[in-house]
Amino acid sequence: MNTLRASLRVPVARAALAVLALVLLLALLGGRIAPADPLAQDTAHILGGPSADHLLGTDYLGRDVLSRLLAGTGLSVLAAVEAVAVAALLGVVPGLLSVRFGPAGSWLALRAVDSLMTLPFTLFAIAAVGLLGNGLHQAMLALGVLLAPLFFRVTRAAALGLDRAQYVEAAELMGASRSWILRVHIWRKVLPTVAVTTAHALATGLLTVSSLTFLGIGVQPPAPTWGGMLASDLGFLAQQPWAPIPPAVLIMLTVGALNLLADVLADSDRTGAAPATARARRVAGRRAASGGPSVQGGPSGQSGPSVRGVPSVQGVPSVQGVPSAPGADSTGPAPSVPDRKEHDHVPHPA
Amino acid sequence: MSITAIASAITDGPTPAVGSPALRIERLEVRYGRTTVLGGVDLEARSGEILGLIGETGSGKTTLARAVAGLAPVTGGRITVDGGDRATLRGRSLRTARRSGTVQYMFQDPLRSLDPDLTVARLVGEPLAVAGVPRAERGPRVREALDRVGLDAALASRTPGALSGGQRQRVALARAIVGRPRLLLADEPVSALDVSNRNHVLRLLDRLRHELGLAVVVISHDLDSLAGIADRIAVLYRGRIVEQGPAEAVLDRPLHPYSALLAASAPGPDPARRTVLRLLRAPAGAAVPGGGCGFAHRCPFADAACAAVPELGPGLAVPATGPEAHAAACHHSPDWRARLHPDNATSLSEQPR
Repeated sequence: MNTLRASLRVPVARAALAVLALVLLLALLGGRIAPADPLAQDTAHILGGPSADHLLGTDYLGRDVLSRLLAGTGLSVLAAVEAVAVAALLGVVPGLLSVRFGPAGSWLALRAVDSLMTLPFTLFAIAAVGLLGNGLHQAMLALGVLLAPLFFRVTRAAALGLDRAQYVEAAELMGASRSWILRVHIWRKVLPTVAVTTAHALATGLLTVSSLTFLGIGVQPPAPTWGGMLASDLGFLAQQPWAPIPPAVLIMLTVGALNLLADVLADSDRTGAAPATARARRVAGRRAASGGPSVQGGPSGQSGPSVRGVPSVQGVPSVQGVPSAPGADSTGPAPSVPDRKEHDHVPHPA
Repeated sequence: MSITAIASAITDGPTPAVGSPALRIERLEVRYGRTTVLGGVDLEARSGEILGLIGETGSGKTTLARAVAGLAPVTGGRITVDGGDRATLRGRSLRTARRSGTVQYMFQDPLRSLDPDLTVARLVGEPLAVAGVPRAERGPRVREALDRVGLDAALASRTPGALSGGQRQRVALARAIVGRPRLLLADEPVSALDVSNRNHVLRLLDRLRHELGLAVVVISHDLDSLAGIADRIAVLYRGRIVEQGPAEAVLDRPLHPYSALLAASAPGPDPARRTVLRLLRAPAGAAVPGGGCGFAHRCPFADAACAAVPELGPGLAVPATGPEAHAAACHHSPDWRARLHPDNATSLSEQPR
């Protein structure tokens, strides 16, 4: 909790939150403030440039680009949130519980997660859509299932170190129940890690929705989404080379804000307090990028395993390796989770 | 002024009348896999008494306390607290027993045993909250516990990271006594503290056992922190009690060569003690096969008799039972001291191997 509060003091985090708030506002009100009907075709003015009538021009069917962008925000964001919610539900709860599974249970859970990770993403999505019918919710369910291992492993790694912490043992000595220990002692330490993962997964989800739309899975035309607009604009690059820019900028801004937020969260989780200056952030960033030792354990020893993903704009479900179980006397700094960049293994579906 | 002298100066008032045994350990055995950590320990701690448990690293003193608290696998023997068996508790009955708060275990390092995210008020109130004490009742009891350990109520909103080492140890102590325990096991309570904080905490333990009628077991690796506060001292070596008795007797007239070695190891310029120390550190008197006395391989007085495991028996001219009992597990406890006299130094080193 301190980590989350400390993060809010960093200007970058505030800027990222401002961008995300704006996106959320657009998602809720986009359809209503759109100047024109996003589905209305005007075949007399196809592929038009910016004008007083169409501030961002028109697309290949003469539809108003600005209106489609505004109206598409809701679907795009909703889809990403849905996928991440499914992933978090399927990942975090079993991840926390898996700490108490015992050797056989842990082995089974980990192998199940491993086999989930080996599934090729596009094939899985197509299979799910073929089985459940083509639609946004079906596709997002499939994406959520494939993102769940990320949450499972990150949560499990964070909780493993904590479960052997001495204050957990002390709580057991008081006769505290499992759920008490999870609620009071473990959850608030795992929360920053889950928040970081969620921010990354949201960015991933947003890009994947776009990719799936590109493949014709999920959102069906003519409903507008950012990814769908980008895909169709790419077909008319020769006529209108700047057309992909507006949806791309929106995607980049949102994903960038999420990644920055995740970075600040990860940084403040690792150092125990948010780095106050831009310089400190850059240094921390370089250290992480060069794979150097990450600074663990604040003076109060409150840092859990820190998870730090390098912003990977190749939106793919990526999964972090789990460190081997720490020794019986696990009181030192919790194990650091390897940089997730090296573990990206699922190819970008587009 | 030596630490021993300071420590004796801080204990005020006479030793309280010792009460009924709050803790009784009989033939306790703890094994981790094939490693025997405790091999048949008998021990007693009475209400209002401070029992010092001393031994070197790896001697099993922390395991002993953890076994009593229910954190170590007991493979044999009995542990009773106020007449109730602790070692056989499992599942729900264990949890109920723990929630009653009768036995409290103070971890060595409060920085690790106190959740860094919780405030002092929540930390101290946690045992009560877990036991289901209503919120309205918790507040006053937390304040009372903080008051007893001499912590300002203004600290209640701080987290452990924002406290000094001494304050943290007091928070741990407040948390241990808030449930009104009968037995307090303190694992190295002062080893990480500076001398002044050390005296504060020791004096506090001494006061609390008077006020609360508490049986206190203080675990330590050095005699100095026990001298002056412990009523009785038990010396643990390789998972066995090698000597126990009234603190003064164990410190001044040890019956076991290992206790004598510990007592003489305290730093100081006293030449007589250094001579004794040198003699006690002499190589083993005879090669003794394994399975006998655990100390034989380090004991300058070892001989063929040490091939058998010695039983804890009374020394000369001391009562064999009762609170003043002074006993040691050594085949040579009657005679080794005579051979320690400096005049005999040469004869000792010339003994045939």
